[in-house]
Amino acid sequence: MSKRLMVVDDSRLVRVQLEDTLAGTDYVVAAYCRSGEDAIEQYAAVQPDLVTMDIIMQGMDGLDAAEIILKNHPDARIVMVSSLAYDDTFERAKAIGAKGFVDKPFHQEQLLHVFEQALK
Amino acid sequence: MNTVMTREDLEQILDQALQDVTERTAGVCLRQDDQPPGEDLCTVHITFDKGFNTSLTLCADKSLLARMARNSFHEESVSLEDLEEFSKEYLNVLCGKVTGAMYRATQIPAHFGQPTFYPGRYEPEGQEVQFILTYSDEHSEGAQLIHHVPCPQEDSVVSDET
Repeated sequence: MSKRLMVVDDSRLVRVQLEDTLAGTDYVVAAYCRSGEDAIEQYAAVQPDLVTMDIIMQGMDGLDAAEIILKNHPDARIVMVSSLAYDDTFERAKAIGAKGFVDKPFHQEQLLHVFEQALK
Repeated sequence: MNTVMTREDLEQILDQALQDVTERTAGVCLRQDDQPPGEDLCTVHITFDKGFNTSLTLCADKSLLARMARNSFHEESVSLEDLEEFSKEYLNVLCGKVTGAMYRATQIPAHFGQPTFYPGRYEPEGQEVQFILTYSDEHSEGAQLIHHVPCPQEDSVVSDET
């Protein structure tokens, strides 16, 4: 059965890359959100199996948005996606309850591995 | 960036990141070359702060950026707005890779601002070129990645002369 993703990213480039990377896999994109605020608003309606959350976006950053979603929906499974991967970013993502971290640009193998771990 | 790392180390990080990100995001293989880009150019510029007071400028043949944008967005044609959107996002991803590699090398976190796009060539004010990496692809279209550092302060020039 397909797993439904909510993709939170303000980058068109990343959205296209993610679609390419997930083509032919069991993952389907159920919703795109261009901001953290949009993701918080849409989460309850979409009820995704997994959220991919960019960190640096216009407005609220992805770490703050993930924290709010997880407060409202403790069972949410969120994977952080960023090209900016410092130790303190990893630590904060882990502390707020994110299930994984994926580097941009994507490697399919890494992406699917992180998704599988997040859904366990 | 100009004082914490050697120029050679920084050139290597930039070169590796540019080749990797270009191939993976746009399916274009860029290799270092001596042939500069032509006259019909676009430039995208980004500034680093918090630890590294420098900037990076990508100056490329418009036709090369357009092909990269078409490949990345899976579009048969792209508008100038598409070109700007692609160029900024591409430089964002590139700078993420670069700052990540610099952090692993120096343990100093760098942050970068929003990229700015310019049709034509752009030279940032108050900065001077430290080095230029020049690239071309199999279609002989080219790009230059230019690393800028702050110009020496006039005061220090005066004091050196006295």
